Amino acid sequence: MLPLAFGAPAVLFGLLALPVIWWLLRLTPPRPRSEVFPPLRILAAVLKKEETPAQSPWWLTVLRIVMAALVILALADPVLDPTSGTVSSRGPLALVVDNSWSTAPDWQRRVAAADRLIDQAADTDVPVSLTFTASRDNDPTPTSAANARERLRAARPQPIPPARERAAARFTEAFSGTAPGTLAFIADGIASNGGEQAFSRMIATGPADIRLIEGDGNPVAITDADNGADRFTVSATRLDTDGAENLGLDAYDAKGRSIATGRLHFDAGSATGSGAIDVPFELRNDFARIGIASVASAGASYLLDDSDRRRRVALVSGAPSDNAQELLSPLHYIEQALQPYADLLKPEDSDLAQAIPNLLKRNPSVIVMADIGTLPEDVYPALEKWIRNGGTLLRFAGPRLAGTTAKDPLVPVQLRAGERALGGTMSWSEPQHLAAFSGSGPFAGIQAPQNVTVSRQVLAQPSPDLEERTWASLADGTPLVTAKTEGEGRIVLFHVTATPTWSNLPLSGAFVEMLRKTIALSKASPTGGTDNGSGVDAGAPQSLPPYRLLSAEGILVEPSGDARPVTLRKGALPRPTLDNPPGLYGTQDGFRALNLMRAGDTLEPLAMPEAADITRTPLVDTAARALKPWLFALAMLLLLVDSVIVLVMGGALSTARLARAGRSTGAALLLACLGAGLCGLGAPRPAFAQEDTGSDASTILDKIDTTHLAYVVTGDEAVDRISRAGLEGLSRFLTNHTALEPGPPDGVHIDSDPLAFYPLIYWPMAPDAAMPSDAAVGRIDAYMKNGGTVLFDTRDQLGSLGGDGAVTPQTQRLRAILANLDVPPLEPVPDDDVLTKAFYILRSFPGRYAGGRMWVEATPDDEGRADRPVRAGDGVSSIVITGNDLAGAWAVNGDGSPLLPTVPNDPRQRELAYRVGVNLVMYTLTGNYKADQVHIPALLERLGQ
Amino acid sequence: MASLGRSVSRTANTEALARARQRAALVPDCLVEASRIAHTAVSGWHGRRRRGTGENFWQFRPYTVGESVARIDWRRSARDDHTYLRDREWEAAHTLWLWSDPSPSMLFKSDLARASKEARALVLQLALAEVLARSGERIASPAIMEPTAQRNAAERLAGALVQAQDTAAFPDFLDAGRYSEVVLVGDFLDEPEVTMERLAPIARRGIRGHVVEVCDPAEEVFPYAGRTEFRDPETGSRLTAGRAETVAEDYRRAYLARRETLAGRLQRLGWTFLTHRTDRPASEALIAVHMRLSGDPAGGRRSA
Repeated sequence: MLPLAFGAPAVLFGLLALPVIWWLLRLTPPRPRSEVFPPLRILAAVLKKEETPAQSPWWLTVLRIVMAALVILALADPVLDPTSGTVSSRGPLALVVDNSWSTAPDWQRRVAAADRLIDQAADTDVPVSLTFTASRDNDPTPTSAANARERLRAARPQPIPPARERAAARFTEAFSGTAPGTLAFIADGIASNGGEQAFSRMIATGPADIRLIEGDGNPVAITDADNGADRFTVSATRLDTDGAENLGLDAYDAKGRSIATGRLHFDAGSATGSGAIDVPFELRNDFARIGIASVASAGASYLLDDSDRRRRVALVSGAPSDNAQELLSPLHYIEQALQPYADLLKPEDSDLAQAIPNLLKRNPSVIVMADIGTLPEDVYPALEKWIRNGGTLLRFAGPRLAGTTAKDPLVPVQLRAGERALGGTMSWSEPQHLAAFSGSGPFAGIQAPQNVTVSRQVLAQPSPDLEERTWASLADGTPLVTAKTEGEGRIVLFHVTATPTWSNLPLSGAFVEMLRKTIALSKASPTGGTDNGSGVDAGAPQSLPPYRLLSAEGILVEPSGDARPVTLRKGALPRPTLDNPPGLYGTQDGFRALNLMRAGDTLEPLAMPEAADITRTPLVDTAARALKPWLFALAMLLLLVDSVIVLVMGGALSTARLARAGRSTGAALLLACLGAGLCGLGAPRPAFAQEDTGSDASTILDKIDTTHLAYVVTGDEAVDRISRAGLEGLSRFLTNHTALEPGPPDGVHIDSDPLAFYPLIYWPMAPDAAMPSDAAVGRIDAYMKNGGTVLFDTRDQLGSLGGDGAVTPQTQRLRAILANLDVPPLEPVPDDDVLTKAFYILRSFPGRYAGGRMWVEATPDDEGRADRPVRAGDGVSSIVITGNDLAGAWAVNGDGSPLLPTVPNDPRQRELAYRVGVNLVMYTLTGNYKADQVHIPALLERLGQ
Repeated sequence: MASLGRSVSRTANTEALARARQRAALVPDCLVEASRIAHTAVSGWHGRRRRGTGENFWQFRPYTVGESVARIDWRRSARDDHTYLRDREWEAAHTLWLWSDPSPSMLFKSDLARASKEARALVLQLALAEVLARSGERIASPAIMEPTAQRNAAERLAGALVQAQDTAAFPDFLDAGRYSEVVLVGDFLDEPEVTMERLAPIARRGIRGHVVEVCDPAEEVFPYAGRTEFRDPETGSRLTAGRAETVAEDYRRAYLARRETLAGRLQRLGWTFLTHRTDRPASEALIAVHMRLSGDPAGGRRSA
């Protein structure tokens, strides 16, 4: 069985031409035209030696022959088909395809594999029988290939495990008379209930050839998800236990938005893994579905229902609601404690007879009753029913409860009438501390607060079951919190008030924790509540209609007509079947999630009957792998190699040694070329690294030690030279005239050098130089935002003299740069700006040219304070623009003499230019300090001196 | 593609003579050096009173910049503010030595040319002989023919050339006297230094010369392209150019540089230099040489 086939085998005859090509190649180069030429000596003087050897070296010829052979082979359109083969012609082709949930990710490949087999069956002219193990309707009766193909196209993966037994029953029925030729299973690889027997039964029909095609994917399924106290934990199982695996978890809310992510980890060799989503409680309550990222199957999706949701808590108080004194309201502390974790319901009216039934209609998980002694008589049955159906009643003691004489059915333990006071004037006992919480009780894990004291409580009647009903007790052993399970629900009683009157427990953090734990224990949505209308008691079968169903790809979809209402028995959901596919059942207000997997489920590898002779093949991607592009690519590569060799032999790659080596051994030459290429590739990287580490600590220290003026290296040699000389001149002037003694100026490359050391960066516009990159402009932007000042100098004052509105190239460049910068609004330097007074009093800002205006950041208008000596601009303008060529005026030779004449040539103007520079530097270094300085006379005057 | 140029067999002298006669018939009687003839014992027709190299005074004329200072007549110049030269009347021996290059490199004719260089050189040589003999000049050819003043000098020269086919080397002109002139027709493809090494001894003996370079257009414009193997007809050495068109520009520059160098050197010797392409009619060259022999350099390339 040759896996190689040719689309155009006739082209292979072209290989016969290879000897001819060989002969032709040996003849290279072509024979020259012979010419008599008397002035040969003159020609010889100008003609470079470009002799090619009469014959190319043998290895070069071999290379070219190989190239030609590759092209011919490629033109013959070879196709590598590892799955080629034929189905048995002794009977119909029987295809059994698993379309269970785990086939969804690679369904198309499975269809393609089945399609290929059907093609082969069509070629062999045998009918095809097609069985889908997870589908409802199966007709394994052999039909034509076209029919089978149509059914194959229509089939979809189902979000349920395969029902192989049922499929096998239909199969054996269909093949009771005839034996199938080839029996091919396209299996999902997961063992199912009774799967092995099903296969045995199918094999028993006596096929001539049995094949098992298995996918290479690793099915993984979430088995359990738990909204824990501080994190969301997820358990999962997988089929392939080899190797550790780390998968991403996505949590989606009810609208399908991904709102949190986590990790799911499988240890090597372990079939089960666990993961966690570590997000705040509030966010966790919004989870509607957990999915494994990158795995689109129903198993990798876990639906959540109300049991993990935020609880609805109804608050009922016996005390009159007094809004004026909130801190005395018994519900205030509970509200504050529960607000972040639960939805709080409050009764609309204070009449408990109305309020409690209304609250029950809203189906709360928990009803908190703070100090309620008695309830209206007709409320009791409804409340009791609600508790039996899963409601949690949380009660707090108080004067009313303590004063109740009637026997209260809604307390966990029998209470003694009246309350017990501890540490009062008439008592010897001290206020009691809390005992440590029992490690196995519901409050396990909560640190018992040491500073909580209880001075008053209601006492329980001693009874045999008091101990087990006690959740928390005081240090002397009297119960503080007791609880009783009632039906599916629970009654919990705190023996103290919900206000700090009896104890300071409500003020402690433990109170919040205890309430949270209690709430978390409650059922999210007590079924059988009056709300969902069924009104049936728990235990009776309950039918829930499909609300949203999970597709095989793990997406929630509208229910199809096939799905039937799910029947809950004793509140438990059945296993998903085709009739009840995984999904949400119920209504929008209350639903139950039916998941594919349950806690503790594992995925087992598919077991096949051992006796049968089964050919196992993997699922391959495509039927045929066309080799044509690869061959062409290889030929192209050889052509490149050939070109390089020819270039080298032609002397293009210099050194005679290399060329000689190339002529002697081609292999050596190839290696040399590759080596040279690799070296060339590798070389620049260390150089870059070197550059990056250029700003080491000592350089930074040096830059910080002394103030340096800086200019932008534009790349235009002349401009940069003047910038450097100008800043040197200015530094010299500053040293001579001011307290600032700057170091030598630095030229900075704004795209690489650190800018943070420089208070002022001079940027002359050089239109001939390259435009700074976006990254460089971004750095300048950051520099300006962080307090640096950039002095842009277009140096075009002279150039723009005649033009009215004509834009010089420098200005154009400036505009192009500023277009990328976040530049504040600008204005010409106002007469009262700090810049005019920072060191020298200046009226204008001349450089080499006089007359151009200097622009700075516009300062907000000081409305009408004309009498102020200076405008009190806060901070320093991050941008200064001039056209006067300041550096040109500052530039000095090594001996200190000016480098360029000023225009007009006036020593006074140069002096002024230096003063502008000094003012600028002082301005950038001191900011509005000078603006404050000018007030000194006024301040002194005010001080009376 | 067939070769552009090829070697040709040597031209039969009789045929060349006939062609030379035709050319010569077009040229008016050569009255070269009539003046010189008048001053020599050798018979000529009538003298031409002209300035030239001689011993008798001919005229004073103002000095113009560029002329040899040695020729200034200081006695005359001292008399007024101008500087004068003393021109002498032209007097010379009137033997004209004609030589054409017989080397194999001359046996080349390209498709662009009308005749091979050798044929053209021979025609020029014989035509000159015919013209000059008609004018009564003495004609000679080095190592081939003694000077003769006979009217049928061209026939005799042709006959002598037939006799001496194997004179490939450059002659030494030892027989040429002081006031004789030589006319050299060849391709002068050697290095200018080599050529000048041969010509300088002749010039030192006071012999005036006229060099006619005959070239094939193919040699000048280099119309070759593609992979071409060039063969030197003299040495037989070969040279292969991978892409001939790429060197064409360089070659033309070198070729013309050689010519310029040669022309410059000859100018310094006081000789005239003339190029002639074989795709032009031979009479062009004949007239040009004739003009130069007549002392009128306006006919073509300016000589010293």
